[in-house]
Amino acid sequence: MAEKNLTENLTPTADYISHHLTNLTYGWCEKSQTWGFAYHQQNIFKETSCKVSEMGFWSFHLDTIFMSTFLGLIFFGFFGLVLMGAKKGVPGKVQNFAEFVFEFISGAVKNNFHGTSKIIGPLAFASCVWILSWNLMDLLPVEMTNFFGANLVNSEGISYVGYFKVLPTADVNAPLALALVVMFFVTYYTIANHGLGGFLKEFINPIELVGYFSKHVALALRLYGNLFAGEMIFILIGIMFGQFLMSFGQTLWFLPGLIMNLVWALFHILIIALQAYIFMMLTIAYINLACAKH
Amino acid sequence: MNVNATFFAELIAFCLFIFITYRYLWPSFSNILEARQEEISEGLEAASQSQRKLEEANEESRKLVEDAKSEASSLIAQAGSRGDQIVDEAKTQAIEEQKKIKDSAEADIEQNITKAKEGLREEVAALVIAGAEQILNKEVDESSNKDIVDALIKEL
Repeated sequence: MAEKNLTENLTPTADYISHHLTNLTYGWCEKSQTWGFAYHQQNIFKETSCKVSEMGFWSFHLDTIFMSTFLGLIFFGFFGLVLMGAKKGVPGKVQNFAEFVFEFISGAVKNNFHGTSKIIGPLAFASCVWILSWNLMDLLPVEMTNFFGANLVNSEGISYVGYFKVLPTADVNAPLALALVVMFFVTYYTIANHGLGGFLKEFINPIELVGYFSKHVALALRLYGNLFAGEMIFILIGIMFGQFLMSFGQTLWFLPGLIMNLVWALFHILIIALQAYIFMMLTIAYINLACAKH
Repeated sequence: MNVNATFFAELIAFCLFIFITYRYLWPSFSNILEARQEEISEGLEAASQSQRKLEEANEESRKLVEDAKSEASSLIAQAGSRGDQIVDEAKTQAIEEQKKIKDSAEADIEQNITKAKEGLREEVAALVIAGAEQILNKEVDESSNKDIVDALIKEL
């Protein structure tokens, strides 16, 4: 009965979509003046709990934070482990791969950055590897991680959000945080190379100020939008064939869904790698521009 | 698309990962690759050096072989001439020896001949005397006729 109440004012399709686009959220609920998990659709605890949309700024997307940190630890841990066991002589296959990744990124830095900076290499490396690790999560089936959220229930047995978003890039907070760090370094290098006066002189024309911020917001939104759209397509494929499956009861409908998912996943691999690469290259280009002599 | 405090968590995490990369990953990657680059260039240098050494050694060995060859040929020539010499010496020695043996043999023969002649002469003299005794039917005094007999012997 409770389950029915949770979803009563939405069509199944809309609910499915909003369900998949909702993060597992923990935050400050204004109504009840408590910290707690958000509910996906809730009508029965109207007075004592919040929906995700009702939570204010002080809420955390636990799935995004957990997945991004977890993936970062795995990927950076991989490089760390490889380096710990690294030999100076002929490298093994794993070390060869790690060195290939490093040389690819350091090559991109060397070719596109002409100043002197010790931080730009690590910045490019960290952003590229981390974003790639996030984006790869887009290839996990959309329904797979439902499990985590669906089993997270309160004392009355009602699930909170009911979904665990596995793709950190599809949460705009993560790309925005990366873009802010890039913006910090761009500003830092502009001031370091041209002085505070040189930095402020760029904004004599106020439209430049808009450009300055939109450049960095666009950096984040480009990444976010691409991966969000990719995730959306997977969800739509899921809806389309899920509906057929339910209405016709034909398990055969499983097959075209599988094929379409596979085709989109294959195509999406390109976007996954490309967006990580683009973010890294733009980071390098922006900092190079900040260091360049006018 | 709701921006919330997740943003700060991501910001901290990103700074942390940049720091890890800056402090640990990037320097050790550079160190390893630089060390390998150095090693490879050293290896190439050593290879070209050893190539040069090999060429030198080849040259030297070629020279040594040539020297040895010329020495051997001179030795062979020497040995040949020495052999000729030895053969010549042996020949002359042999000839001398032969001559000596021949001479001594000739002397022997000469001696034997004179001995035989002497013997024959004496026998003939005895025969002549015996013959003359019989012819004369009388004993001829050997001493009186000695002169005649001696003359006869000498004529023989």
